[in-house]
Amino acid sequence: MSVAQVKRISISDSPIPWLLPLVSLLVVFTIYPLIYNIWLSFHEFVPRKRALQFVGVDNWVQLWNDARFWSSLGVTFAYFVIALAFELALGMAIALLLDAELPGFGALRAFLSLTLVIPPAIAGMMFLLMEDPQFGALTYILNSLGLLDKSIPILATSSTALAGVLLAEIWQWTPFMVLIFLAGLRSLPTEPYEAAMIDGASSFQMFRRLTLPMMSRVIAVAVLIRGIDLFRVFDYVFVMTSGGPGTATYSLSLYAWQQTFSFIKWGYGATLSLVSLVIIMVLANIFIKVFKVRW
Amino acid sequence: MKDKDRKLYLSSLTDKLVRGEMGRRDFLRLSGALGLGAGALGMGLGPRPYLGVSSAQAQEAVQPSADVIAWLKEVGKPFAGTTLKLATESTPPSNAINSQLKKYFEEATGIKVEIEVLPLEQVLQKLTLDVASSLGTYDLYYIDQSWAASFSQDVFDPREQISAKPDLAMPNYNIDDFLPALVDGIAMYEDRMVGVPYDIPIFIMIYRKDVYEELGLKAPTTFEELYNNSKAITDKKGPNLFGYAGQMKSGHYALECEWTSMLWGHGGSIFRTDGTFSGNDEQGIAALDYYTKLKATMPPGVDGWTWDGQGQAVAQGVAASMLSWGEFFPYFDDPTQTKVSGLCEAVIPPQPIALRTVKDTGYGEIPGVGHQGGSSLAVSKYSKSPDAAWLFMQWATCADTQALITVLGGGTGPTRASVYDDPRVKANARVGAGTTRHLPVVRETIAKYMGSEPDLPEWAQLSSDTIPVSLGKYFAGGYGSSKEAMDDIAAQVGEVLKG
Repeated sequence: MSVAQVKRISISDSPIPWLLPLVSLLVVFTIYPLIYNIWLSFHEFVPRKRALQFVGVDNWVQLWNDARFWSSLGVTFAYFVIALAFELALGMAIALLLDAELPGFGALRAFLSLTLVIPPAIAGMMFLLMEDPQFGALTYILNSLGLLDKSIPILATSSTALAGVLLAEIWQWTPFMVLIFLAGLRSLPTEPYEAAMIDGASSFQMFRRLTLPMMSRVIAVAVLIRGIDLFRVFDYVFVMTSGGPGTATYSLSLYAWQQTFSFIKWGYGATLSLVSLVIIMVLANIFIKVFKVRW
Repeated sequence: MKDKDRKLYLSSLTDKLVRGEMGRRDFLRLSGALGLGAGALGMGLGPRPYLGVSSAQAQEAVQPSADVIAWLKEVGKPFAGTTLKLATESTPPSNAINSQLKKYFEEATGIKVEIEVLPLEQVLQKLTLDVASSLGTYDLYYIDQSWAASFSQDVFDPREQISAKPDLAMPNYNIDDFLPALVDGIAMYEDRMVGVPYDIPIFIMIYRKDVYEELGLKAPTTFEELYNNSKAITDKKGPNLFGYAGQMKSGHYALECEWTSMLWGHGGSIFRTDGTFSGNDEQGIAALDYYTKLKATMPPGVDGWTWDGQGQAVAQGVAASMLSWGEFFPYFDDPTQTKVSGLCEAVIPPQPIALRTVKDTGYGEIPGVGHQGGSSLAVSKYSKSPDAAWLFMQWATCADTQALITVLGGGTGPTRASVYDDPRVKANARVGAGTTRHLPVVRETIAKYMGSEPDLPEWAQLSSDTIPVSLGKYFAGGYGSSKEAMDDIAAQVGEVLKG
C-alpha cells in the first residue's frame, strides 16, 4: 500500500478504518467465543474417547430435566432481587444524606469508593471470618443483640446462608450505587426545587415528584449495570459457602463453572453459560424498553 | 560470607527455629539475608492440607547423595537444554522439589524443569486438555488416585520403562521399595501401573495428650471410645475447648473424605459388587448416625470447615482431637505457628467395628479407616521428551530425594519403605517444626488400615459434588432422617452412573 493510499484512507469520511481495530477485537474476543460456545453446547467431551462428540440437543434436554439447574436458577434470582432491592434503597438513602456540603462529607464520599477496590473474593473471605460462629465479630454482635441464636451458624444453616452471603455483596456494592446516585443528584437543576418550596411542598413530596422522575435514567443505568453483575454472582458463594449448605446458595455461574472445570463437562457447562447469557440479555432488553434507557 | 560459613550460619538458624528459640519472622529475615527465598521455606498455598512448615533439618543435610548426582551427570548429558513441564497440586513433594531440590537436578543434567503449582481441579483440567489434544504440553503427569482409571492409557507404565531402557534406569531405583499398599491403592489400575506413588496424605488419629491426661482419658482405639472421649472433653471444657474437630464443609471433598472414613469404620462401603451405591444399607446408616452424634461434640463452626479449618481448630487449641491427614502433625509441633507444640500425639486410627473386604465392594474400593488421598507421578505418552522426563521422574521419586523431601518438612509420609528407616528422617523425630515423629504411625496406617476410594471416571463428580452436597444438606437439616438422606444420595449416584 502506497503512502498516498494510506493518506487517502486516513482522511476519508468512511468510518470503516476507524472501527476496524475495535471490530476485530470484538470478533476475536466476543463473537468467536460466543459462536464456539453455541457450537459447544451441542457437543460433549467424552473422556474415554478423548474427544468432543456431537450430542445434538441432549445438553438442552438434560438442562430442562436437571433439578440442580432449576434450583441454582432460583437461588440466582433470589440473590439478584434481594441484593438489587437493598443496594438500590440503601444507595439512594445514603446518597440523599451525603448530598450536602457539610464538614467531612467530602472525605466520606471519598471513603465510599474504598470498598470497590477490594476484590470480591477478599471481601467474601472477610465476611466468612466475621460470620464464623465461634470468633466472628458479626456473629458476636448479632448474638449479643439477641438477633441470632448461638446454635445457628449463619453460613451453615440453609435458612440463613444466602443472607450471610448477601451481606458481603450489599456491603461491597452499595457504595457503587451511592456514587452514581450522588453524581446524578449533583447534576439536577435547582429551579424546580425552589418552585416546589415556594408552593409549600414537603421534602417527601419533592423527592417523589421531582427527584425520582429526574433521576430515573441515572437509576435505570445503575440498576442495569448492577443487575447484570448480580446475575453472574460467583466469587462470594465460591469463597463463603461453595454453594452450601446443600444447594442453598448454589448460583448458576457456580454450577456452570463446576460442570465445566471440575467435571470436564464442557458441553453442558457451555449450555448453562448460554442460558445465563440469554436470561441476562432478555431481562436487560425488557428493562431498557420499559424504562426507556438511552445511552 | 563464604559458602561454608553461610551454610553453617543457616544451620544454626534452622536449629534455633526448630527448638523454638527463634521466631519465624526473625528466621525469615535472617535466612532471607542469606538469599533463601520464602518459597524455599515451604510457604506454598493450596487446597491440600500442606501448611508450609519450616525446614527442620540443617541445610548441610539437605544435599543429594554424590552417587545420585554422578548418575544424573552421566545419563543426563544427551538431554541438556531440554525443558520439562509438570502441572501439580501444592503438595509437600512438589513444593520441596520446586523450591529447594530441582536445582540439583538441573545443574547435574542441564535439563530445565518448570513446575506449575495449581489447584487440583486446574491440574485435572490441564491434563484433560493435554490428553484430548495429544500436544504433550506436560511431560509429567501428577495423577490423583481418583484419576488413575481416566489416565491409565495416557502414561507409561514405569516397569515397562525400566525394562525398555536399561541404560536410563537409575541404579538402585528399586521399584519394589514402594509400599505395596500404596502401589495397589494409588498407582494400579487393572494390570497397569499408572506411574509410581508420589505423595501419601493419610488419615491418622491426632489428639491432645495433655488434655487427655488431665481428664484421665486414653487414646481412642475404637469409634465408641473416640465419641466418649470427645463428649467428655466437650462437656467439661466446652465452649473453650471441644473434643473433636471435623472437616464438614457442605459440598466439599473434605466432607466426603471424613464420611468415608466413618462409613468404612462401621463396616460399610460406598459401592456394592454390582456397582450400586451401598451407603444407604444398615452399616451406612449406622455410620451416618455415628457421624451425627460425633458432630454434636464438635465446635459450632465445623459445618464450614474443610481440613484447613479442622487443622486450625486443633492448632489454636479449640479442639482436642481429629482423625485427619497426617501431614498436619509437623505443623502442630511448630512452636512458632501453633499453641500446641509438643502437646499432640499421633496414633493409628480407631479400629473399625467391622470391615468389608475389597471383594465385597465395587470399582476397586478398599475399605479402611485410614482414608488416603495419595497421588502418583508418571511420564506422559504424549511428551516430546519422554526419556528426559523419565530421568526426572526417577530422580524425584528415588529414595534419596524422598528422604530430602521428608527432612525438609511438610509432614507427608514417604511412599518408599526404605525412607522411613533413613537415618536423616529418623534424626528428625523430635518435637519441633518439620518433625517426623508421627511417621511410624503413618507407616503402620498405610500398611494395615489404609482405605482407598473407588476408581471410576464419575468419581470426581460423586466425591466432590453429589455426596458432599447431600451430606451438607443433611447436616443442615434438609432431610428428615439419615436413611432419607442416604436413599436420596443412592438415587442421585444411580443417575450419575447412568450418564
